[in-house]
Amino acid sequence: MLPLLLATVEEANHAAASGPLAGLQQTFEHFGVEPKLILFQLISFLILFGVLYKFAIKPTVATMEERNAKIAAGLKHAEETQARLAAAQTESAAIIKAAQVDAQKALDEARKVAKEFGDKQQAEAITRAADLLAKAQQSIELEHQKMLNEARSEIARLVVKTTEQVLAKKLSDADRAAYNDAATKELASL
Amino acid sequence: MAADKQTNLLAKQLFKLSLVNGVVSPEQVAGVLGWVEQYAPHRPVALLKAYQHRIAIELAKSRAVVEHAGPVSDAALQQIAAAMTKRYSRAITASAKPNAKLLAGLRVRVGSDVYESSVASQLATLSV
Repeated sequence: MLPLLLATVEEANHAAASGPLAGLQQTFEHFGVEPKLILFQLISFLILFGVLYKFAIKPTVATMEERNAKIAAGLKHAEETQARLAAAQTESAAIIKAAQVDAQKALDEARKVAKEFGDKQQAEAITRAADLLAKAQQSIELEHQKMLNEARSEIARLVVKTTEQVLAKKLSDADRAAYNDAATKELASL
Repeated sequence: MAADKQTNLLAKQLFKLSLVNGVVSPEQVAGVLGWVEQYAPHRPVALLKAYQHRIAIELAKSRAVVEHAGPVSDAALQQIAAAMTKRYSRAITASAKPNAKLLAGLRVRVGSDVYESSVASQLATLSV
């Protein structure tokens, strides 16, 4: 093949020496290139290109553009969704924070109320205990006084009974007569 | 048997007839009993019981029962009778009744009234 290329180059150099168009024409002829065939091939190529463009390239491009649009819309939707998600996260964080603040307030209020209630209950319990203690002391005092009175009465009864027995034995008629005289004077003076 | 109202009213009238100058008269009482025996009023037993009750109360009012422990002289009884007569403004006689529970002293009962000056009463006062 190398000798063929060397021959072609030599002919081209020879043609170039005689003029550019004549050289180009000789080259085409040497390779068998016919202008008519080239024209028909060009026309066929254009027809084929038009058919392919109409029925293959154009729908494909349209489909691709549509797909690109869909992808772009999807990306845009994803960005919007992400933005909404971020906003929702921010909002939820704010809501959670507000809820935490409210919960803390409610907790503090509940603790305060519980403490007040506990203090009140404790005060009432102390008061009731004091009342019970006072009543118990009063009851004990009354019971003690009652016991003392009963003991005093019983002792007095025993003393009187013993005294009666002693006097019944020890009093002489003279003593009784003297007492009777005194009693007579007392009753007569009523 | 309890006396009804009419029987009590008749007993009260008979009792009033038995008094002379505010004192129960034996003669009047005898007359009342004779009237009851002669005329036999309605429910005579209940009538006589009511009449006897009123007479007993009236006699008790004119009698001072002197309960005593130990000897008591007649002079003391007379003195008590005089004091009660003066107190009630009617004739009251005193009668003695021994009561050893008094230990010493006297208890005078006139009707439902009781006057006492005895060792037993003073000891009872101490034991209260």
